Amino acid sequence: MAQIGGIELANVTKQFGDTLAIDSVSMIVPPGTYCCLLGPSGCGKTTLLRMIAGHDEPTAGDVLIDGQSVLGLPPAKRGTAMMFQSYALFPHLTCLDNVAFNLKVRGVAKAERRKQAHEMLDRVQMDGFADRVPAELSGGQQQRIALARSLITNPKVLLLDEPLSALDEFLRLQMRGNLRQMQKEFGITFVHVTHTQMEAIAVAELVIVMDHGQIDQADSARGVYDTPHTTYVARFIGGQNVLGGKVVRVESGAALLEDARGNRFTVPSGDPAPDTGETRYLSIRRDWIEMEKLADPSATHSDAVNSVVGKVWMTEYQGTWVKVSITLPDGEEFVANINDGTFFANPAREGDTVVARWSAEAVHSLEHRESSFDTSRGGMQA
Amino acid sequence: MKVPSSIVPYIQVAPLALILLVFFGIPLVTVVVVSFFDYVNFQTVPAFMLYNYEEVFTSGLTITLYLTMLKYSVIVWLITLFIGFNVAYFLVFHVQSLLWKIFLFLVCTVPFWTSNIIRMISWIPVLGRNGLVNQMLISLGLIDEPLDFLLFSDFSVIVAYVHLFTLFMVVTLFNSMARIDPAILEAAVDAGASRWQVITQIVIPLTKTGIALGSIFVVTLVMGDFFVVKIMSGGQSSSAVYAMWNEISMLQYPSAAASAVILLIVVVLMVVAILRVVDVRKELSG
Repeated sequence: MAQIGGIELANVTKQFGDTLAIDSVSMIVPPGTYCCLLGPSGCGKTTLLRMIAGHDEPTAGDVLIDGQSVLGLPPAKRGTAMMFQSYALFPHLTCLDNVAFNLKVRGVAKAERRKQAHEMLDRVQMDGFADRVPAELSGGQQQRIALARSLITNPKVLLLDEPLSALDEFLRLQMRGNLRQMQKEFGITFVHVTHTQMEAIAVAELVIVMDHGQIDQADSARGVYDTPHTTYVARFIGGQNVLGGKVVRVESGAALLEDARGNRFTVPSGDPAPDTGETRYLSIRRDWIEMEKLADPSATHSDAVNSVVGKVWMTEYQGTWVKVSITLPDGEEFVANINDGTFFANPAREGDTVVARWSAEAVHSLEHRESSFDTSRGGMQA
Repeated sequence: MKVPSSIVPYIQVAPLALILLVFFGIPLVTVVVVSFFDYVNFQTVPAFMLYNYEEVFTSGLTITLYLTMLKYSVIVWLITLFIGFNVAYFLVFHVQSLLWKIFLFLVCTVPFWTSNIIRMISWIPVLGRNGLVNQMLISLGLIDEPLDFLLFSDFSVIVAYVHLFTLFMVVTLFNSMARIDPAILEAAVDAGASRWQVITQIVIPLTKTGIALGSIFVVTLVMGDFFVVKIMSGGQSSSAVYAMWNEISMLQYPSAAASAVILLIVVVLMVVAILRVVDVRKELSG
């Protein structure tokens, strides 16, 4: 199927009174992409979605769908359909009439619109519920109806506002897969707003990480997880430890950093190389860390390069691995995800002093940018 | 003291049941009983006869009164529904700030801070032959002679009713519209519905319980009206209740009681008809 529904935002700005909700955002979503807008609550991701949908108009900038500016057009004329967070099903109509609503307002005859609605209900495996009203359905079933109601309009772009947030964990995983499958089947663009990192990287081909009305990074799922650009993205996505230090010296493509405690790390120096004394940040994936118990419980730093010393404050067994949370002497949290076999060969207990080490190749250099939001609450737990 | 749990619910409903019995049940039964009594020379005589009803049904005046009141009910109902719907829609869906919503809602209730009678009488200097409206129209050169239909006419009766009763529509419609998730309206727009389709397909079906409750208020208030029609029509029209008042003032209690029972039945039938169209239990149970 030909893929349709390319979206382009050009310097889109949205102001609500004195508040700047979206600050000159530009982005391109190629046709037929599953795209996630990811960010903490209040970062402007829903506002961005509503502007693509036509439920809000930008204060400045342009929104294009398949190359055509859609500013000022009503949602139905844009070729977009939106699935609302609370599903917003019409409570007085049966599932069938909910799905057929779009055809009804366009004047499609009753028999024809019912036939099409039945077909669409069948595609979301809900045809058996055609005569029920939404209040009689579970959250997951309501969502399927909402999905069918959106898709019957033959949209080029489906916009999903936190589609999984009202579901329980089990359904969320199931629906996540269903959405991905639907998107492939229809060959249209999905834009999915979420604040759950795991959800975004599991479904999306393109993840757009937002903060405070701006885009921090637009990248593949692997890109935002493995090679975050900034300290904010690294901390928000989780799965990474973020460290910083002052440059001591630069040699053969690597900069040696030292933090306030005297721990030293290397980081690729990049181009141009940093000056001595400059502060640099780096991230190391949690699962690329080795850990060893120290005999001396009063140790506060390690002499070896690329290591830190801290006290274990919590271990969480996760099946194939163990999440070890270590508190560094300056109060920062450092997490090591240790393979369960390795961990239980010589298990660390809460309160033990440990050294965490990593190889120079595991280090990824970051640009410094912090969010005004509290990101400690976020961060993927994997 | 330990009360057996089986009688606790009865004790709990007792105060309300007692009040209803004393102030509603007993008077109602009395009226029904008296409606079968005889009256002779300003004396009410216990008896059982259907003469009072016969008299009401055979009087041409009864039909005229009920038809007039029905006419007023329908016109007032249509106008209050139109105004009430628009005001409630504006307050619920167009006013964004909650503070403004509350403020504007209170503004709607301002006329109710004065008595019904004052509010009604105030229309007389506005609509009269030398009233504000006529003076304005003449000084604007739109008319040469004062308009006579403005006061002491059906027009003035309806103006007064609408003024008195619109708030009941606004309140009940506001209440049921406020329960509609605004996302539902957006979803309808998203599906391609026009403004008008959003109202007819979504808002009206979802507010029909509010419409029914407001209609019950307006229709029963108009049907039970006593003085508005008399004063605002300048004595040209009358109401069923006013006819009863005439009978009472002539001490013909049984006759008045029979009229009251008939009016009660008519109004109950109208309410039943409204409830048959709309199930209001949903609204009342929240």
